[in-house]
Amino acid sequence: MEIFYIFLCITILGLTGYGFQIWAIRTTLKEEGAGKGKEYGSEPVPFPAVSILKPLKGLDDNLFDNLESICLQDYPEYEIIFSLQDYNDPAYKVVRKIKDKYPDKNITILVEQCDDGLNPKVNNLIPAYRIAQYEHILISDSNVIVDEHYLKSIVKHMAEPDVGLVSNIITGIGGRSLGSVFENLHLNSFIMGSVCFLDRFLKMPCVVGKSMLMKKADLNAIGGFKAVKDVLAEDYIIGKKMQAKAKKVILSKHLIRNINEYWGVRRFLNRHTRWGKLRWKIGGVSYVSELIGNPVFMSFLPIVLYEPSRITMSFAMFVSSLKILGDMWIGKLITRQDNWSRLHENGKLNSALSMNPLWYFFAPVKDLIIGFIWFVPLISNTVVWRGNRYIIGKDSLLSPCPESGFWSWRYRLLDAVKTRLA
Amino acid sequence: MLLCDFHIHTKYSDGSVELRRTVDLFGQAGFDVIAITDHVVNGDSSFGKLAHRFRFTINEQNFAEYMAHIREETERARNKYGMLIIPGVEISKNYISSDKSAHILLIDIKEFIPACWSYEKIFLEAKEQNALIVACHPHHSSETATRDTLFLWNNRDKYAKYIDAWEIANRDDVFNVISLKKYPYIANSDFHRARHIYSWKTLLNCEKNIDSIKQCIRHNKGVAITLFRN
Repeated sequence: MEIFYIFLCITILGLTGYGFQIWAIRTTLKEEGAGKGKEYGSEPVPFPAVSILKPLKGLDDNLFDNLESICLQDYPEYEIIFSLQDYNDPAYKVVRKIKDKYPDKNITILVEQCDDGLNPKVNNLIPAYRIAQYEHILISDSNVIVDEHYLKSIVKHMAEPDVGLVSNIITGIGGRSLGSVFENLHLNSFIMGSVCFLDRFLKMPCVVGKSMLMKKADLNAIGGFKAVKDVLAEDYIIGKKMQAKAKKVILSKHLIRNINEYWGVRRFLNRHTRWGKLRWKIGGVSYVSELIGNPVFMSFLPIVLYEPSRITMSFAMFVSSLKILGDMWIGKLITRQDNWSRLHENGKLNSALSMNPLWYFFAPVKDLIIGFIWFVPLISNTVVWRGNRYIIGKDSLLSPCPESGFWSWRYRLLDAVKTRLA
Repeated sequence: MLLCDFHIHTKYSDGSVELRRTVDLFGQAGFDVIAITDHVVNGDSSFGKLAHRFRFTINEQNFAEYMAHIREETERARNKYGMLIIPGVEISKNYISSDKSAHILLIDIKEFIPACWSYEKIFLEAKEQNALIVACHPHHSSETATRDTLFLWNNRDKYAKYIDAWEIANRDDVFNVISLKKYPYIANSDFHRARHIYSWKTLLNCEKNIDSIKQCIRHNKGVAITLFRN
């Protein structure tokens, strides 16, 4: 029975943390609503020209709309640089169409092979950064869709001279497959909750690389992209380096959407195993808090470790129900946001992309999977990213994985098993 | 080169994605030309009767609605994605024996053609409507869930003169016999589910209009195939 009480206490601790995360999300999103008038109101705000860098690799869900949304910004002067590694990338055809559709926009398609580092996204950004015309640069991933006020809402933070980087809160939408539903539930609860919690209560910058606005001078001062070319978490490291240079890292409350519609479960598992390894290498012991902060997983452990009795099962069901309700509430807070309805009105988001209330019932299943994934980084230090395998070291520093040598048989064995299963 | 897929099903027959969403899937992925080709199933066999019973087929009653919906989507796709949509059907003669079964794409069809007609009558009517006639998955396929449709290949000496092109590749399968016979070819996805978008496709070196596309396929000049992967 002691085991049950131990896990009961840990679960209550986790639920308390989850409650704080919801509170952080609520206050953060409320602030965005309250600050709306100030953003593009009567006060004159300088709007400097911005170079938007869009690194592309393959087809993301909703790619055309995502790229089009960045072309429709209500902003005086900006250029867009779509950066690809080769002409055979299927995204190339999509960006050609976007450029043809908006001939009056300042759009550059840059196709250049760059092998400077091990991080493929940074390799994609290095040539684009070289040709960027303006002092302000925005790195915007290809899998996000934004409303027309996005640029104005983040650039206003740059008016303060000590601000070095502005990132955004990300929410997952869409979901026509189980993998996508899991991904969106995780983005909207754990990821969004953690980012808001760290920003609000611990004042720790937690930069999500899907949207990063910086000045060239500040980026150059921390060594430019070359300084992060071999790290997996380039976003986090850039944020950390900015802070080390006494520059503020701001979390803009402007929500941007990551559309995930047709993800397979395997893709969900791959991404979160990779992200888990990354957080383990960066966070060290604090990584344990993620397991404690997973109340659903913790509440199910007594069923396995003690006994599947009425009390243990009822407890797990109760905690799962609370988690479902909590995730539903977060979903409600997200859809109340102004720019959500703006995207719907503009026809950029169709109603099918809204969260179906039934999907929230998958939240406990997703949390159980995440609980099991948590252990993977403790036994594996390699990541496979865009087809390449790397060894991940401290602060997510990547090094090439040896394909020969004494221990390399493990990777070959893993490959053989994976190929067989595929 | 135009990136094309001429074999796409929607919820009008046995596809799992509704027409509008299908158009968006291909548009978002940068396609230039697609043909919507839902099944028109024969009603003179037990398989065909089941398809009619569960409405996995276009019939004379809903054909006008089907065409009107495609026209509406054609307009939307042109404005939004610069993508051309061609209306079509897949005449599906399904029998217990694979040797008797055949599927035929009629691309740019104008009037309804029933699948229970004889092959000659279907081909002549399609020619009358200036539709493109494509023999689909004409040889043994690797998919265990689908039945082979071998009738046209087995009777190629009789019917090849009516057929404008043969599917040399369908979804994940490649039919090398088409290449050996030097028949005109195209490659398609036989799209039923979202994941089928990643499959064999046709590349055409011609203008983006229906007449040029049909001519390009019939003459089989400037036609290439590609395995579309992410």
